[in-house]
Amino acid sequence: MTTDSERLKWSLGRATTIGLNTFREAVRMKLFLAMTALAVCALASSFLFREFNFGSSELKFIADFGFGGMTVFGSALAVIVTAQLFYGEIEHRTAYTLLAKPLYRSEFVLGKFFGAWATVLCFMAMLALCLVFALWWRETSIMAEFPEEFVNGRRIVRYGDILGFAALQSIRIGILCAVVILFSTYATSALFSMVLGMLVWIVGQLQHVAVEAWATVDSLILKGIYALASFALPNFHLFDVGERLALGEALPGSLYGKLILYGALYGSFYLAIACISFNRREF
Amino acid sequence: MKLALSISGVTKDFRIPGSKRWVRAVDNLTLSIRENEVYGLLGPNGSGKSTTIKMALGLMKPSVGECSLFGVASDTPSARLNVGFLPEAPYFQRFLTGRELLRYFAKLAGLSRPETAKRIDALLEKVGLEDAGDRRVGGYSKGMLQRIGLAQALVGDPKLLILDEPTAGVDPVGAAEIASIIRTLKSEGKTVLLCSHLLSQVESVCDRVAIMGRGKRLLEGSIDELTLGTDSSSLQLDGASPELRESVAALAAAEGARVATRRRSLEDLFLELAKGGEGGDD
Repeated sequence: MTTDSERLKWSLGRATTIGLNTFREAVRMKLFLAMTALAVCALASSFLFREFNFGSSELKFIADFGFGGMTVFGSALAVIVTAQLFYGEIEHRTAYTLLAKPLYRSEFVLGKFFGAWATVLCFMAMLALCLVFALWWRETSIMAEFPEEFVNGRRIVRYGDILGFAALQSIRIGILCAVVILFSTYATSALFSMVLGMLVWIVGQLQHVAVEAWATVDSLILKGIYALASFALPNFHLFDVGERLALGEALPGSLYGKLILYGALYGSFYLAIACISFNRREF
Repeated sequence: MKLALSISGVTKDFRIPGSKRWVRAVDNLTLSIRENEVYGLLGPNGSGKSTTIKMALGLMKPSVGECSLFGVASDTPSARLNVGFLPEAPYFQRFLTGRELLRYFAKLAGLSRPETAKRIDALLEKVGLEDAGDRRVGGYSKGMLQRIGLAQALVGDPKLLILDEPTAGVDPVGAAEIASIIRTLKSEGKTVLLCSHLLSQVESVCDRVAIMGRGKRLLEGSIDELTLGTDSSSLQLDGASPELRESVAALAAAEGARVATRRRSLEDLFLELAKGGEGGDD
């Protein structure tokens, strides 16, 4: 074995290089442009609600609308963008040249994951800022029109919670990106990864049903299937905190900590399997 | 002499999708490429050349046998530390400019920033793309893609270059320039594995050649060994009169030999072997 070969260590630098290039691809492939257009449309549509003149309840409506948009658009984009950015390298055969370099395949997998996740995070940040701006702007107008609804003239919207909600959705999206990366490592088309990713998104949203069924069902086989589904699939329902926030409930700091840990565990789990799967793939 | 690439008893079988049948792309292949050698790997389409290269680079695992680069098993990333690869019909990140693409690969190769800047300028000049370095790769012609592909293969200053059809889509002037680059690389002590259908180029730059067919090595040797067999050599008589030529031919005929008008080219040899049987999947 040569001296040089002994020197090649797993490098976060190489993974970062791939991640940054992935992010640059998303920016240059006009995905960002589409995302920005979507965010601006969302902002513009929230402006329309001023005609309804709901008073302070209008703010809850706008918040609900924004939270829903972040969850739905963010998840859909996570699936589409990740499949496109990861499988695109295989489909366009650019991966051949990359993987012929002194590069660990796990560096490639993690780089693509972080690049795709960063892309969707930027979109989430844009949507969150648009929502904050729309709420602040509308709240200011309502305060002038209905001052009696604001005790001591204090704002009722907690803007920090909106950013907190965006942060929690970003964790959910990170898990979803990791799932799509996993499927892409053995997929034969980007569409395959997208369809499976969408499926996990929907099933993950209903995962808590499987957990409940696990506790009540008698059949050992069904119990086994439910148990497997409960552990293998993430429970995205845990991240549905929008309703609580819209009702004015403050989220405890421990919830953030638990969900970050939950996301890190599931994300790492899927990425570890993705690395193993991609290592076995032939080109 | 130290080996740059060693392929030992390698067989690669592929399962035909949707059936239980298998197809053998490479069959018990053994090749050894010595350091500082320009080695040509020839064969008709489907003879197993690309599969062989992919296994050599660790992009595929052999069903049987072993591949190693500079003594390190090909399936480990460490083995590729000293290797540059230009794939057949190269596809690159279309959204990057030529310069950005080289910078990307230089970063992956671990080059420092000042080293990268110098190297990129030198490489763009070497492959004749100094004026196109700031244009997006997506707008490059086929020939320009081959050139930027060659530059990215060279960016890490590798000891072994694996070039799969480097002249495909390149005009004759460009092909001659690539041949010249290969000769320069050899003079710099590099090893080159060249797959090409441009046999005259292979003949002019390669030290040794292997011809593959149906996944097997049909022939291997130096250009002279392959084209100047003991019974097929010819004499070149510069400035000889017709009378002298006739005399020489008559003398040869009296000894049971024949004076050929030209030496057998690599192309003749290739066609003979290709006609002898080809097929399989690459």
